[in-house]
Amino acid sequence: MKITLVKKILADGSPCKKCGDVLNKLESNDQMKFIDEVLVADERDPQSPGMKLAGELNVNRAPFFVVERMGEAPEVHTVYFKFVKEVLDQKTSEKEELKEIMNDNPDLDYI
Amino acid sequence: MSQLLDTVDLDKTLQAQSPQEILKFAIETFGNIAISFSGAEDVVLVDMAHKIDPDVEVFCLDTGRLHPETYQFIEKVRNHYDLYIDILSPDGDAVRELVQEKGLYSFYQDNHQECCGIRKIAPLRSKLLEVDAWVTGQRKDQSPGTRAQIPVIQDDKVFARPNGTLTKFNPLANWTSKQVWDYIRSNEVPYNSLHDRGFISIGCEPCTRPVGPGQHEREGRWWWEEATKKECGLHATNIDN
Repeated sequence: MKITLVKKILADGSPCKKCGDVLNKLESNDQMKFIDEVLVADERDPQSPGMKLAGELNVNRAPFFVVERMGEAPEVHTVYFKFVKEVLDQKTSEKEELKEIMNDNPDLDYI
Repeated sequence: MSQLLDTVDLDKTLQAQSPQEILKFAIETFGNIAISFSGAEDVVLVDMAHKIDPDVEVFCLDTGRLHPETYQFIEKVRNHYDLYIDILSPDGDAVRELVQEKGLYSFYQDNHQECCGIRKIAPLRSKLLEVDAWVTGQRKDQSPGTRAQIPVIQDDKVFARPNGTLTKFNPLANWTSKQVWDYIRSNEVPYNSLHDRGFISIGCEPCTRPVGPGQHEREGRWWWEEATKKECGLHATNIDN
């Protein structure tokens, strides 16, 4: 299994805050050891490895994780807690999960 | 069937179709589908779906903080269409913990995310584990900041079952508020009486207020908070290139 993390650089050259938050969580939870490769999706450069991968996989959010297993189609995870639960098989707190969902999906405000 | 849907290609096709056509496609494609009804003008979806399938499943998120008028309206819709409406309640222990720790109006001090997470998103997540597809009344014109890019159909990775898929339909994505209200009036669809008192967008009672002429409906919700800047999206133009 190969796990790739794609993080984003915004069009103005600044780092994506959400990507930083996820990287911090990966570091503090000792989960970076599971990440085989980190690619950058630079919004200023459509040819940057992360932007190309996002295009190939039809992903329109960042950060995201790509899980590749032998003989299977790549699996994309755009939600950190789901990635942790389903791929790393580790526990997360519901409070943190709900917080991440709310912060990442402001369109849910009007549901 | 859901496993085989290419939602990106389908979205390009469905974007040009009417809400009724999109709903028909959704209902005929997915047997296990449910419509999210907030007790506001998204009642048009209920009306349209009921004409396609009178037994269509509808669910409501009862946060426990809705206006009395909204509860009355939900009941009116249930009776009017003779529908089964699944009323979802938040987890009592989670609400109790929040209220004991932060009081009944914590959202005015911090923000609405924590309360909405407990009262709305947690029950929604549980409900969506039961279905293969769901339908919302989300429209692009509801909030230019957060809804400008919503597709008509999307692969819902947030609420999908582990190792499963969930498809989300937003049939009203391209409709304006005026089109929704033209439909309500021309089809004599029942509506929430709060709309007659200046409420455009209707949510929980403490977080909803009427708006005046010229104000965007977004100004009637969480007005004490600054609009948050969404920055999780990858710029579509760049990806397309």
